[in-house]
Amino acid sequence: MTAATLKPRRFALAADDKPIVIASAFIVVLLMIGTGYTLATQGTMTLLSPNYLLQQLQIGAFLGVVAAGMMLVILIGHIDLSVAWTLAAAAMMATTVGGAWAIPTGLAVGLTVGVINGLGVAYLRVPSMIFTLGVNAVMRGLMVAHTGGFAPQTAATDLMRFLAAERIAGIPMAIFVWLGVSVVIAIVLKRTVFGRTIYAIGNREAAAYLAGMHTRGVIITAFAACGMLAGLAGVLLAGYSTKAYQGMGDAYVLPAIAAVVIGGTNILGGRGKYLGTVVGVILIVLLNSVLSIMQMPEAGRQIIYGVVIISMLLVYGRNQRVTS
Amino acid sequence: MTDRDAQPLLSLSKISKRYGGVRALEDVDFSCSAGSIHAILGENGAGKSTLIKIMSGVVQPDTGSMTLTGTPRRFLSPAEANAAGVVCVFQELSLMPDLSVADNISIVGPPTRLGLIDAKAQRRRAEELLASIGCEDVNPLLNVRDLPLSRRQMVEIAKALGKKPQLLILDEATSALTNSDVATIYEVLKRLRREGLSILYISHRMHEIEELADRASVFRNGRHIETFPMGRYGHGEIVELMIGREISAQYPPKVKRERPAPLFEVKKLTWENRLRAVDLSIGKGEIVGLGGLDGQGQKELLLALFGVLKGVTGEVTLDGKPALPGSPAEAKAPSRRIALIPEDRKTEGLMLPMSIAENLCSASLDALSTGPFIDRTKEEVAITDAIKRLQIKIGSPGDAVATLSGGNQQKVVIAKWLMTNPRVILLNDPTRGIDVGTKQEIYALLRQLADKGAAILFYSTDYDELIGCCDRVAVMYDGAIKVELEGDGITEQALIASALNIDAGAAARSGHGVHG
Repeated sequence: MTAATLKPRRFALAADDKPIVIASAFIVVLLMIGTGYTLATQGTMTLLSPNYLLQQLQIGAFLGVVAAGMMLVILIGHIDLSVAWTLAAAAMMATTVGGAWAIPTGLAVGLTVGVINGLGVAYLRVPSMIFTLGVNAVMRGLMVAHTGGFAPQTAATDLMRFLAAERIAGIPMAIFVWLGVSVVIAIVLKRTVFGRTIYAIGNREAAAYLAGMHTRGVIITAFAACGMLAGLAGVLLAGYSTKAYQGMGDAYVLPAIAAVVIGGTNILGGRGKYLGTVVGVILIVLLNSVLSIMQMPEAGRQIIYGVVIISMLLVYGRNQRVTS
Repeated sequence: MTDRDAQPLLSLSKISKRYGGVRALEDVDFSCSAGSIHAILGENGAGKSTLIKIMSGVVQPDTGSMTLTGTPRRFLSPAEANAAGVVCVFQELSLMPDLSVADNISIVGPPTRLGLIDAKAQRRRAEELLASIGCEDVNPLLNVRDLPLSRRQMVEIAKALGKKPQLLILDEATSALTNSDVATIYEVLKRLRREGLSILYISHRMHEIEELADRASVFRNGRHIETFPMGRYGHGEIVELMIGREISAQYPPKVKRERPAPLFEVKKLTWENRLRAVDLSIGKGEIVGLGGLDGQGQKELLLALFGVLKGVTGEVTLDGKPALPGSPAEAKAPSRRIALIPEDRKTEGLMLPMSIAENLCSASLDALSTGPFIDRTKEEVAITDAIKRLQIKIGSPGDAVATLSGGNQQKVVIAKWLMTNPRVILLNDPTRGIDVGTKQEIYALLRQLADKGAAILFYSTDYDELIGCCDRVAVMYDGAIKVELEGDGITEQALIASALNIDAGAAARSGHGVHG
């Protein structure tokens, strides 16, 4: 991970690193449990093969791109529940338009929805949880109207398939896309005025505003970025499955939020490192994969999945947030 | 009168209370008797609120004891105090806006029938209590939110009376009442006194106190100065007692000189009904104080000048050019360079969990960056300079600002704005709750900034500060500047008299009489 090679900074708070360390340790534990299981049942170490790991990262890339955007929104103290149908709408419109304009269309759909969310939150002051939930329903309705409620017949373009499913030198392209997004987000959060303002708003919006920061613009931009990244994830996912389908984004909303929070970002905003979100995504993808390798029935998987998220947060919960 | 013969209803002995490093009350002995209206007087921060909070169980004293009708008592919560008949009507209204008047009046212990709230009985109770204070016109079924402020205050009083008090404490409880309400309340209070209640009355309106009270106690700097029957002293003497002669801080010397040409001018600034055509001008190198009682529009004036309030009308010019900002971002832009040190550093001035360095840079990021990127080198230099210049005592710039003491936190807020190199500096009570040493550093700093050419507008609730620091003081009353004091004319008498909007000359003359 490039984000991992960025050294701890002057402004790094030691408390921020703790969740990342814990989550990373848990990833190792998961791999050990899974390997123990496959050794016992099949006599192989499938989980440690490079191919398996790369495949997990490829699957993780879709979630990772959504989570990167979600993290920006969570850092300013808000949430975006519209990513599910933003993702689906971007995928559907991209395949509908097709050709060279497929990917720009998908990104534009995401960007537009994100800007609308941002305007609603920054200017109309509607709580983001309600506003984005409403936008999600609207997007869903629009897409049902567009497709008649069936899976669209149109297919992903070659470029979309290349970005999502092809490999270069044995490494899936999707990983490079995720890497690119990660580098940009990590630099933006660490090094730019925009990034600093995001943390300031999440900590105390009134103080940030009174410091003369452009709080509204930053809120809108954060939502816009989140929408556009959901659009990108939609384009990739359509490329991976060769077409768009109804409800394709539904499985990404809560895992994206969970990944951000497991990575140590405060759900109320203001604190968290981007590296944590990457670790959180890998943890969630691996957990799903290991549970399915162990042939855990769906009910058990859901229960374990939920218990793991809650217990991770309980472990972090203790020395969270400095109070005065 | 009911002087010292009767046993006091409530008496406090040797009560002290500190908040952090600030002493709010020190060794206070105080008592009040049944059948009396007892006024409590003192400046802002004299300890009045702490006193009544201790009486009504909101806070616990650090040391000292309290007796009620001769038996020692200790109230651990307002509910315990209420049960013992000590009821307080606080300055900030305690009503729930979305509940009905009747619900609010019976919020504690509503009448019940078969274990459920008896709405009819509750409504009757509300009607009776409201009628007893001449408020038959208030419909008990209306939501409190829909009542005007003056009616809400009457509901608050009805609610307090519903608790059957022996001791009723009114803390600025008449500040929003209309004249006819005030007349009714006078009648009610006098009736309650005849019925044997003890009433403690806190108000900044001197004529109300003269009309109502039979005794008065003066507090100053957390100490009980004197209790006397009303009529013993005149206005001026009471003001003298409130001010005292203590000097608690050293100020940098003021230089006598010609009044400089105006740099920052405000004309007919108006906002809703809180600011009424404010006219003010500050010269280059001048420190102008804003005085007056709390809540006369001083905070609104500062916020309006900083672009926080929407719908402000009037004219603001800086160096002759229009300068009324539309937002804090516009206020600090290079064309204006206005800075505001806000009132509450914890919620408005700082992002507490973030580092000292990040907080220091938060207002000057534009100057410290190249394109969208923050320039690390420039940032580091600026942070080191700021910490050195204000002598902020810190471990490391990467520590959370929440780890600093109050005084050092305030220095961070000030330093953050000095990094923008402001031409106009607005300060909203910047020394509240910080130690004397840091206060003196801040005074010296302000004078130094003024000498370098900044125009400074300084609101303080501490009269001493206004006298010690300011070249001129504009005293606000009811959203407008009533009096401007200058040079030797800035005296405690003049400040208090104009804050109370009474004739300064009369106060000064009778004040003179005490010593002469």
